Amino acid sequence: MALATLPSRDPEARARLVEVHDRTRPLVLARARTLTVPGPLRPLLPELVRGSVVVVEGAPGAGATSAALSLCAAATAAGEWAAVLDFEGTLGGEAGAAAGVALERFAVARRVPPDRWATAVAVLLDGMSVVVAEVPRHARAGDAHRLVARARERQTVLVPLAGPRTPWPATATTRVHVEGGPWPGLDAGCGLLTARTPRVRVVAGTREQVGVLAG
Amino acid sequence: MSSPADRTLCVWCPDWPVTVARRGDPALAGQPVAVVERGVHGLVVRAASSDARHEGIRRGLRRREAEACCPGLVVLDADPAAEARAFEAVARAVEAVTPGLVLERPGVLTFPTRGPARFFGGDEGLGRRVHAALAEVDLAEAGVGIADGSFAARLAARRAAPGGAHVVPPGATPDFLAEWPVDVLDADDLPELLARLGLPRLGAFAALPSAAVLARFGAAGARAHRQARGIDEHPARPTPVPPELVETCELDPPATRVDEAAFAAKGLADRLFDQLAALGLTCTQVVVEAETEHGERLARRWRHEQSLTPATLATRVRWQLDGWLTSGQGTGEEDDATAGITLVRLRPDQVVPATGRQLGFWGGDAAAGDRADRALVRLQTLTGPGSVVTAAPCGGRIPSERVRWVPWGEPRDDTVGPEIPTWPGAVPGPPAARVYESRLAVSLLAADGEPVTVSGRGEASAAPARLVSDAFGDAEVVAWAGPWPQDVRWWDRVCRRRRALWHVVARTPATDVACLVVVEAGRAGIEAIYD
Repeated sequence: MALATLPSRDPEARARLVEVHDRTRPLVLARARTLTVPGPLRPLLPELVRGSVVVVEGAPGAGATSAALSLCAAATAAGEWAAVLDFEGTLGGEAGAAAGVALERFAVARRVPPDRWATAVAVLLDGMSVVVAEVPRHARAGDAHRLVARARERQTVLVPLAGPRTPWPATATTRVHVEGGPWPGLDAGCGLLTARTPRVRVVAGTREQVGVLAG
Repeated sequence: MSSPADRTLCVWCPDWPVTVARRGDPALAGQPVAVVERGVHGLVVRAASSDARHEGIRRGLRRREAEACCPGLVVLDADPAAEARAFEAVARAVEAVTPGLVLERPGVLTFPTRGPARFFGGDEGLGRRVHAALAEVDLAEAGVGIADGSFAARLAARRAAPGGAHVVPPGATPDFLAEWPVDVLDADDLPELLARLGLPRLGAFAALPSAAVLARFGAAGARAHRQARGIDEHPARPTPVPPELVETCELDPPATRVDEAAFAAKGLADRLFDQLAALGLTCTQVVVEAETEHGERLARRWRHEQSLTPATLATRVRWQLDGWLTSGQGTGEEDDATAGITLVRLRPDQVVPATGRQLGFWGGDAAAGDRADRALVRLQTLTGPGSVVTAAPCGGRIPSERVRWVPWGEPRDDTVGPEIPTWPGAVPGPPAARVYESRLAVSLLAADGEPVTVSGRGEASAAPARLVSDAFGDAEVVAWAGPWPQDVRWWDRVCRRRRALWHVVARTPATDVACLVVVEAGRAGIEAIYD
């Protein structure tokens, strides 16, 4: 309306109005639908695109669990929900709180039978913003492909937590390899265990970034 | 709205939690007892025995203050399920006099006296009759009061002399209430405020114009004002209940355990409240019905002071089913013990327009929460109620003690807040990301291949050199700290545990692994891995 009624001999005002119009246009691009990752992982992986699959892998004790928890914190910091599928029931809740997860918006599914793994993850993808799922032994590629499609459809970030013996058998947008590192502070019989800075490699498509997580 | 309330009889069992605890443990008789529950500021006293009250202990006192007031005090944790179970026996005894009981909470039940009073020759006769029924279940000290409305009846029951009923004549309820202090109102901060405004008695509060009370104190204040004037809390003629609001759930196979039946009841309560919310209603009174395999039909009416929520209703249904399923076992009737519950039905008995609930201003969080709740409840139906949990931090020394896992749907109780002070003797260092509640068996070996032992004085036999486990194989120990001896609950002969903790960094082919190793009773185990 305003554009039409404006006298045509005032191009400067018209240009300014067009600029305001462009700036206020309600347009959501794919890169805008993201969750910001807090904590030390941020320089390597600044944000999670909704509907993507981010595989976190590492040997036991290398620091993969902590990295996955900081991705959960990305959801709860935005007021949304995150869940972890934990086969053995060994996730440390305190570490979640330390990684910045709001525990009141954080659920853990424990002791899920491995044959119902795909169903359980699919149910969680319906309700959460970030789902961390431990990959069972001999996970079927068909199940994994269906979960990737479901995550894209529900606009949920799926974070398969893989290990050396339990690889993720499908595609992934981003792969975070946590490779561990030395533990500072502790020595033979003396010192105090302090948070370490594990080496992390983030592979997104053809781009690869290597860095350490500064605690 | 302003018609006087129905004549109501109230049975009030003073200090019901204490009575239940003393019945469970006869050794407590004659000792001062206090029952505590978790409040906003830690453990507070919920009920105390009369001798403990004589020492100055009252409701809401903190546990430590209570112990200071009365040094010989026995402090017990509240057990609402046991209280409800024991109260079921009382309800059965009173049911011999009249049907149509309304349970308000374990320890308090009411019923309208209109029919039974006529049958038993007036209010006094009915009161004596109820008292006799209570004496049969060893509850001669319970108070019986009759007045207009359940609030006044409850106060009359507190006034009752032992062995008799306190009857407030019809129409005299406002005068009876006028003398009571404002503390008896069930409103959070209102009594304190009223006392500061110079209104220490209910009579003075009732004399205020109701429009002014509503304007100044809101809906909660108006409700308290109606109570103080002797008018029933809820409209005398509540909205008629639409018949389609009955929610039924058949259980096949029949539920013989309380948690199975209660889990079904939770879904039922949610469905009922969804339906009520769609009609803009909420309910204040619900009939819980159950059928057993042997064709018995059980029904009990529960009422809530304000209005029920899905969570409070589910708790009450759980208590009730617990009472039915376990009371049969207690009396030794074989039939009851084997009969599982085949059907649970919730029938709203009194519905009122919903006024209180208001969604968050922006709505976004509530929508995400609802979506998450639906997904988690669905997962519970797939894998069992105990498999979906949330973490609630709590105090402790080792990682497995410092978090409590609460099944989804149960109250998390984190009134303590996320900032839990560190316990003295807590394990230092960063929090562990993998915590093994049942420890992984390992061997912590010295350089000569002998297991490292810790003496009673906390001295290690040798420096650890190798960590042998199924998870990591035979790994070299590159750094360690410890041992830190811990003597847990040393004052308690039964629960006392001694253990020693080590921080160990083991070198595996892939990476260095830091773990917390606990040596207890000569066996080493991995308590946590810093992953």
